[in-house]
Order: sequence, then structure tokens, then C-alpha cells
Amino acid sequence: MATDKELSDFLKNVEKRAFKRTVYAVRDDDAALDIVQDSMIRLAEKYGDRPAAELPLVFQRILSNATMDWFRRQKVRNAVMQNMSDFGGSDEDGDFDLLEMLETMEGTLGAESAADTVGREQILLLIEKEVALLPGRQREAFLLRYWEELDVAETAQAMGCSEGSVKTHCSRAVHALAKSLKAKGITP
Amino acid sequence: MTTQTRRSGTDPGNLEARFGLRIGALLNERAQNTPHDVTERLRFAREQALARARTSQPISATAAVVVGAGSSRTATLGRQPGWLTRFASLLPLVALVGGLLLIDEWHDRAEIEAAADVDTALLGDVLPPDAYSDAGFVEFLKQGRD
Repeated sequence: MATDKELSDFLKNVEKRAFKRTVYAVRDDDAALDIVQDSMIRLAEKYGDRPAAELPLVFQRILSNATMDWFRRQKVRNAVMQNMSDFGGSDEDGDFDLLEMLETMEGTLGAESAADTVGREQILLLIEKEVALLPGRQREAFLLRYWEELDVAETAQAMGCSEGSVKTHCSRAVHALAKSLKAKGITP
Repeated sequence: MTTQTRRSGTDPGNLEARFGLRIGALLNERAQNTPHDVTERLRFAREQALARARTSQPISATAAVVVGAGSSRTATLGRQPGWLTRFASLLPLVALVGGLLLIDEWHDRAEIEAAADVDTALLGDVLPPDAYSDAGFVEFLKQGRD
């Protein structure tokens, strides 16, 4: 069972990412804050007796469900489903671009100078916007895998889909992001 | 970089993971710059959640705590369902069984009435002359006479 401190530390650690993830989905700060608060309360009330190690996965599941509930309440489910549907893959040609971008990004943002600070902020903002523009399922899989750093099996469990689907969503998200960032001249 | 590491470095899965983690790190950096009002609301939400956790856990833990003990009987917190509640919970089941029995009875009666209608129609109908040319019908008449 998670102690009060463990629960507090976990929530403190996850709250900003949870808020951002929800904002990407609902595009409304106030709604995102409400959803995160509801999710935190639900976790604390219903799953506070779980071991601390289980909290991340349970919380991600609660947050996803709470977000979906919000969409249902807004009666825009059709629009959401359209947004969440995967686009056809014209992104199979991204391997070399990806390598090129990785090599560039490790040489640029890795060594920041003070003069780059403003530019860096703008780049971060653009990256965030591009992530927010990803189709819902791709974005969710991508963020759970590479931001929350869940493994494939945990991501599949949190999203309620197969591990194969998670891999597909993540791969498509990475290629779509690489492509869109490259088109904007950004090498993250 | 050796050929082997170069090859593993260009593995599509590995590249995707590196790219993804890099983006994740940048998003993390961006998330640290969350506006003050948002971080305050998040802090408030966290405190609310922790307060709920503190209140909900003792209640569930003490729900069955013995508050008083006699010689052979114990009293526990929370209300036990009374006989009326138990009986009321059985009512839907009783209604269901009764309904099924009524439907079965009604179905049997309907079948009997349909058979009776057919018999009445056959017996009350005029016998066509062609029937007497039917060997089976003549045999039936002979048997009836015997």
C-alpha cells in the first residue's frame, strides 16, 4: 500500500505532464485542470491502497478514461473519433530523415548558448504544438511510451489495446513528428 | 563508431526510440515552465486528492470495527440489511418466476384452442364426393363400421 508521502510524491511528479497531456487532447486549460483534479481524486480515493509501483499505470488509465468522459460530456464524440483515427501511412520513408535529425539534434540543442535561449523556447513551443496536432491515439501512445516512459506492455494496458497497436501508433507518431518538424526547419 | 554500433544505431526501432525519448525530454523541459496559476491549481488539486485519500482510507478500514461487545453478540458499525429489505430484494425474482409460469400456461391453452379449432373445422365441413374414390378413406369407413 502506498504511503501518504509516496502518493504525494507520485502526484507531484506526474501532475504537470498529466496536465500537458490533457491539454493536448482537450485544448482547454481549465477543462484539463478539472480532468487532472478528478483523476487525482479518483486515484487517491479508489486506488490509494495500491502499492506505489502500480500507481503510474493506474493513474494513466484513470486520466485517459476521465479525458474520454469529458469528450462524451461535451457531445463532440464524433469529432473526437475523427481526430483520433489514424491517417494513412505516407510516412514509411522516414528512417534516413530520422537518423539525420537525431545526429543534428544531438549537436544543436545538446550544447545551448545563452543567445539561443529565446530560439530554444520557440522550438519547444513548436514541438509541443506538433505533438498536440498528432492524431489522438498516436499522441497518447507516443507520450505514454516516451514521456511517461512506460514500456510497450504497460502502454498497451493503459490504452486498452494490443502491444502491436502501441508499436504502430508510436512508429507513426515518430515519423509524423520528424516529418512535420523537418518541414518547419526544426531539428529538435 | 564501429560498424556494429553504427548498424544498431540505424535500427529503425532504435532510432524511433531515441527520437521519441529526445522529444519526451524536450516536452519535459517545456512542462517545467508551466505558468504559476496552473501549478497552483495543480497543487490545490493534489492536496484535495491527498485529503480525500486520508478520509476515505480510515473509513474503509474501520467499517467493520467492533464498537461494543456483549456476552455472545457483537455490534458493528454500518447497518445490516433488515428482513424487509431482504424480502424486497427477492420480489423481482418471484415476479419473474410467476410471469414465466403464466406465459407457459397461456401458451398451452393457445395450442389446445388451435387444435380444437382445426378439429371442429374438419368435422363440420361438407364431405367432398371425391373422398369416396379414395381407397384409404373407404378403408377408414369400413373400420369404423366394424
